[in-house]
Amino acid sequence: MKTRLRVNGTEREVDVPRRATLLSVLRDDLGLTGTRYGCGAGQCGACYVLADGRAVASCLMTVDQAAAADITTIEGLARGDRLHPVQEAFIAEDAMQCGYCTSGMIISAAALLARDPRPSDASIRDALAPNLCRCGVYVRAIRAVKRAAGTVL
Amino acid sequence: MTGWGEPRKERVEQRIRVEPDGTVVALSGKVEFGQGIRTAFAQLVADEMAVPIERVRVVLGDTAQVPWDMGTFGSRSVAQEAPALRRAAAFARELLERGAPVAGEVPDDVRLRPAAERRYVGQPMPRLEARDIVTGEATYVADVRLPDMAHGVIVRPPARGATVRAVDDAAAKAMPGVLAVVRDGDVVGVVAERDDQARAAADALDVAWSMPARTEGETLEVAMRDDGGVDDAVARAAVLLEAEYTLPPISNAPIGPSAAVADVRADGATVYAGTQRPFGLREQLAAAIGLDEERVRVLPQMPSGTYGRNSSADAPIEAAILSKHAKRPVHVQWTRAEEFAYAPTRPEAYLRIGAALDGAGRIAAWRYDEHTNVHTGGGLDARLAPMTSGRNAIPPYRIPKARVTLYVEPTPLRTASFRSLAAAENVFAIETFMDDLARLAKQDPLAFRLAHVDDPRLRAVFERVARTSGWGRKTEPRRGLGIAGTIYHGTYIAEVAEVEVDESGRVRLVRVWAAVDPGLTLNPDGVRNQTEGGIQQSASWTLYEEIRHRDGRIVNTGWDTYPIATFRDAPESIEVDVMGDPTTPSSGVGEPGAVCISAAIGNGVFAATGVRVRQLPMTPERVRGR
Repeated sequence: MKTRLRVNGTEREVDVPRRATLLSVLRDDLGLTGTRYGCGAGQCGACYVLADGRAVASCLMTVDQAAAADITTIEGLARGDRLHPVQEAFIAEDAMQCGYCTSGMIISAAALLARDPRPSDASIRDALAPNLCRCGVYVRAIRAVKRAAGTVL
Repeated sequence: MTGWGEPRKERVEQRIRVEPDGTVVALSGKVEFGQGIRTAFAQLVADEMAVPIERVRVVLGDTAQVPWDMGTFGSRSVAQEAPALRRAAAFARELLERGAPVAGEVPDDVRLRPAAERRYVGQPMPRLEARDIVTGEATYVADVRLPDMAHGVIVRPPARGATVRAVDDAAAKAMPGVLAVVRDGDVVGVVAERDDQARAAADALDVAWSMPARTEGETLEVAMRDDGGVDDAVARAAVLLEAEYTLPPISNAPIGPSAAVADVRADGATVYAGTQRPFGLREQLAAAIGLDEERVRVLPQMPSGTYGRNSSADAPIEAAILSKHAKRPVHVQWTRAEEFAYAPTRPEAYLRIGAALDGAGRIAAWRYDEHTNVHTGGGLDARLAPMTSGRNAIPPYRIPKARVTLYVEPTPLRTASFRSLAAAENVFAIETFMDDLARLAKQDPLAFRLAHVDDPRLRAVFERVARTSGWGRKTEPRRGLGIAGTIYHGTYIAEVAEVEVDESGRVRLVRVWAAVDPGLTLNPDGVRNQTEGGIQQSASWTLYEEIRHRDGRIVNTGWDTYPIATFRDAPESIEVDVMGDPTTPSSGVGEPGAVCISAAIGNGVFAATGVRVRQLPMTPERVRGR
């Protein structure tokens, strides 16, 4: 079935089964592999994208549902060569190890800072709680979000 | 340790290549999975060749280019590879200065640059991959996309070792997108244009399995230390303490389940894999698809973490078998449930300690029995058992008479390598027990440990972490400080945990301090990041994690039933002091951070509540003590 999507500011047409998930379309049809597969059940946050500015699990969204929204993936956060402040802050704090969960964390943090530019420690933890990390960079990632928010350092 | 061997004579061109544009290519059989070795290697090669780090490209694990290597595990990458790379780079610079081609055997007396001239080594460096990671440009093994690539799914047997009797593929073959139904020995799978199509067809396949015969398996008993007279000494003891500790099986649980891409042709194969052993995998692949090893190229890709998981080759072999039959490049992506259900686990462990104190409150005798399972993918190996299943079973303390016995027992679960192997289990038991002994001897836990430490480096990390954590200070109500330390594969580490226990028995990790001495440090921030990560991951094992299984089948196969620590559970801070001496050879830091924190947390819980927890995970019920 042909569906038109708006991804990272560009109209894209895909021809995929209607029940296909947004995640599979991003990764397998649009070549946007920065959105990662983690669980397929909305329990790990690795596949988070922005849908109309809200952080959502792309593995739970069908391509049909996605067609109604403006989708931003990790590849669409930077403006040309200028990284999003959250991306800059994650580099500055070296808030990553294997980096597999980083895309999802940055998406959640970007959505948080867009609605709350000065989040408390607890709001950061709550907003990023859906993003699981196995390498254990939570403390650094919290520091990175605070740095991006300009509340510390 | 068996297998590490003596340093080989190496040719410089196996290690260093200078491209026409001046790029320095450094080659190593080690593999990157987030521990930062690409950056560390680039730092030391740039220093030794006196070039800007931007001109160095590090090629890791490509079996078509790099020298043979046994594998990346045991926190050995820096210790093993740094000297070889450094010597090759130094020789390459000598050759370039003489205008000679970069070729020939690296001489024994190659002159290394003095430490004072190093520009990168020892400096904090952001990871080379950092920008690609934050922009999503970084590709992991699951992200490899080849022209004409199809997707494969394996049909899982009802039990390990079950064999295929018959396959009815009539329905599956007619389903949309299906390219091939594959049966190769006892491997059954489907290849289709899309992943969801392959999965639907695999579900529609009717496979008749024969269950394997039940085998009991053997127990291997290894005497790791026996000074004799331990039982007599215990019988004569002024004070005797005995305790037992239980740890459940747990999962490596990388966030991204296993994946691989294979392109198998009649005359050769290329396999993109997350692997800790590229050359070992090449050998396994060659056997699985019937090609000569030289015709198989393994191109290691970033997996999602590893923590030991990628010592076992699963998805790469499956992808290769499916590709061979489907005659297309095949991408295999395990589901979350497959990863939990079929990946190897960290074995469970049951530890028993008995120790006698003399009249002066010093340990006079020590009896230790470790019961666990095989800790590596290679199966039961009596020669390796003390270093794997028995890792860190011998305490780093002065003990006049000790008997340490390892029992490697059979298990219905698939077990294999896990971060720190058995060290985290043994150190949990030993360092928890040391706290109880200290109390019995009416001594402070730190002072009691130090009274049994001869090694100045171990003493130094204990003293440092005591200072940074404010050991001995009064904490807020319901809070407590716990300390633990050890020597892991040459790296000295001590940790203090401040915990808070609420009325329900829930443990919150408030802050952590660590002091780590890994000798010469290439990238101090890399050391801190690895140590922090080890602490956070191991705190999760300690407080939350347990695999449940029935008849050899794992039943909790999702994040809802196998919860791990989240952002809400992270401590307020983890402060890591790196105190490596630049004149001491480097040792690893990938694992040591994970080794002590269980005991430090448990000791903190005891300090806060008076309840001693000897079984993991430390659930609220266990912490309430009733």
